[in-house]
Amino acid sequence: MPSLSLLEQSLITGVLTGGLYGLLALGLSMSWGLLRLVNLGHFAIALLGAYITWWLGTAYGVAPWLAGAIIVVAFFIYGVALHWVFMRFAVTEMASMLITFALAVIVESTLQFIWTADFRRYETPWGSESWIVGSLYVPKLNLMAFLVACLLAGGTWAWLRYTYVGRALRACAEDAPIAIAYGINHRRLSFILSGLCAAYAGVAGVFIALVATLAPSQIWSWVGVVFAVVIIGRLGNPVGALAGGILIGVCEALTMAVINPSWAALVSFSVLIALLLFKPRWV
Amino acid sequence: MLLEVRDIAVGYGGAPAISDVSVDVGEAEIVSVIGPNGAGKSTLINAIAGLLRWQSGAIHFGGVDLSAVAPHKVCSEGIALVPEGRRLFPGMSVEDNLDIGCYRREARRLRARGFERAYTLFPVLAERRQQLAGTLSGGQQQMVAIARALMSQPRLLLLDEPSLGLAPSIVGEMFRVIQMIQQEGMAILLVEQNVGQAMEIADRAYVLEEGHIVATGKPQVLLAQSRIREAYLGL
Repeated sequence: MPSLSLLEQSLITGVLTGGLYGLLALGLSMSWGLLRLVNLGHFAIALLGAYITWWLGTAYGVAPWLAGAIIVVAFFIYGVALHWVFMRFAVTEMASMLITFALAVIVESTLQFIWTADFRRYETPWGSESWIVGSLYVPKLNLMAFLVACLLAGGTWAWLRYTYVGRALRACAEDAPIAIAYGINHRRLSFILSGLCAAYAGVAGVFIALVATLAPSQIWSWVGVVFAVVIIGRLGNPVGALAGGILIGVCEALTMAVINPSWAALVSFSVLIALLLFKPRWV
Repeated sequence: MLLEVRDIAVGYGGAPAISDVSVDVGEAEIVSVIGPNGAGKSTLINAIAGLLRWQSGAIHFGGVDLSAVAPHKVCSEGIALVPEGRRLFPGMSVEDNLDIGCYRREARRLRARGFERAYTLFPVLAERRQQLAGTLSGGQQQMVAIARALMSQPRLLLLDEPSLGLAPSIVGEMFRVIQMIQQEGMAILLVEQNVGQAMEIADRAYVLEEGHIVATGKPQVLLAQSRIREAYLGL
């Protein structure tokens, strides 16, 4: 049986990792739930964002926050353009999955072509800094990723719930023709939302660059976990996405500590299946 | 006339669902369109509301040619739809549903007055303002659908089968409310299978069969024709 402090440390690591899962899940959950588009390319462009952050930082000395600002703007434009393509060809939910899968493969190959398949590590002065609370380590960058995830999830939730535009987006997801009949410009709103989802992927990418080791094939290691997170958190529910991320993160970390690190990969889908089977009331 | 529909044809790819249909609605007038299932009543209403495009003919509202108006701008002209089967946003609260009603800018300014009017008309909705619309009874959902339309401060209310699937006692109340709304000065275009009630409150009526208007006039005049009385009231 592992020691109490190991369990506590795992718990902290799990919560913080969960924040990153939540950050990645946010954009996917929103586009799936509110636009009915399953964007597998989301993972790819998040990793692209991570590579750009690393590249701008190491080759040109661009600070991560500045790289982040550039990425967010550029990715927003990309998101709008992607949605234009989806609208232009009237892409359905199922087809969107296939198209964006192809997109992910293209991005992966491009990353490999430009920066090779070697592992890349973005060394920053704060990379190894931690706060020490008692006997526990809280890495600063991971904590920041977690806080940003909370901020974005909470902000998006409030936006959807309390603003006219947010309510309009939910109305469009439930019955678009009627929403349009009440004056909602569904087209314009869906462009904005698609842009936002891509921008969220960019934010996640910046933090992935800061806390993880990069390799092009990493795109696929996120897919399973984050899909489970999105479904556990309910489609289109930003706070749910974060909560789902934390749940999976904690379960993984505890599994690694208590059983065996190699079992962690089993956790996300086991939790998802268990939740779908037993349907507790809070899901 | 406030609304002038002239010889429109609307199709869904194949043969037109309605053709050569002309309907007028004046200010503060209740006009009923009756006809059997599948005659094209909903098609007519949805075309006016901007949900469907018409292939020929013209629709003018308050002098504005609606063919030049984008679907999401139709409600800004002052047309509000109460669709068949209510089509609320089921996962949203009653209040959120009404807020969608006053989404357009001009209506947003009158939001407080709109809510007051909605809750005066339907006091039960005030008690349930936080409840999800999908969990309400059929009658209450119909109230939300009408209240949502009124929130947009329309000049013309389009009602598509408001009595469909409701208990008889509630149907009576619904028609009373429709008359109250008209007395405030609103024009109403009503499509109904409940011919008895629809004819009772109408100022004028049209009979739509197989996509064509086959008769028009005052309700009492139409019901005096034995063919119409037999076909729609079974008398």
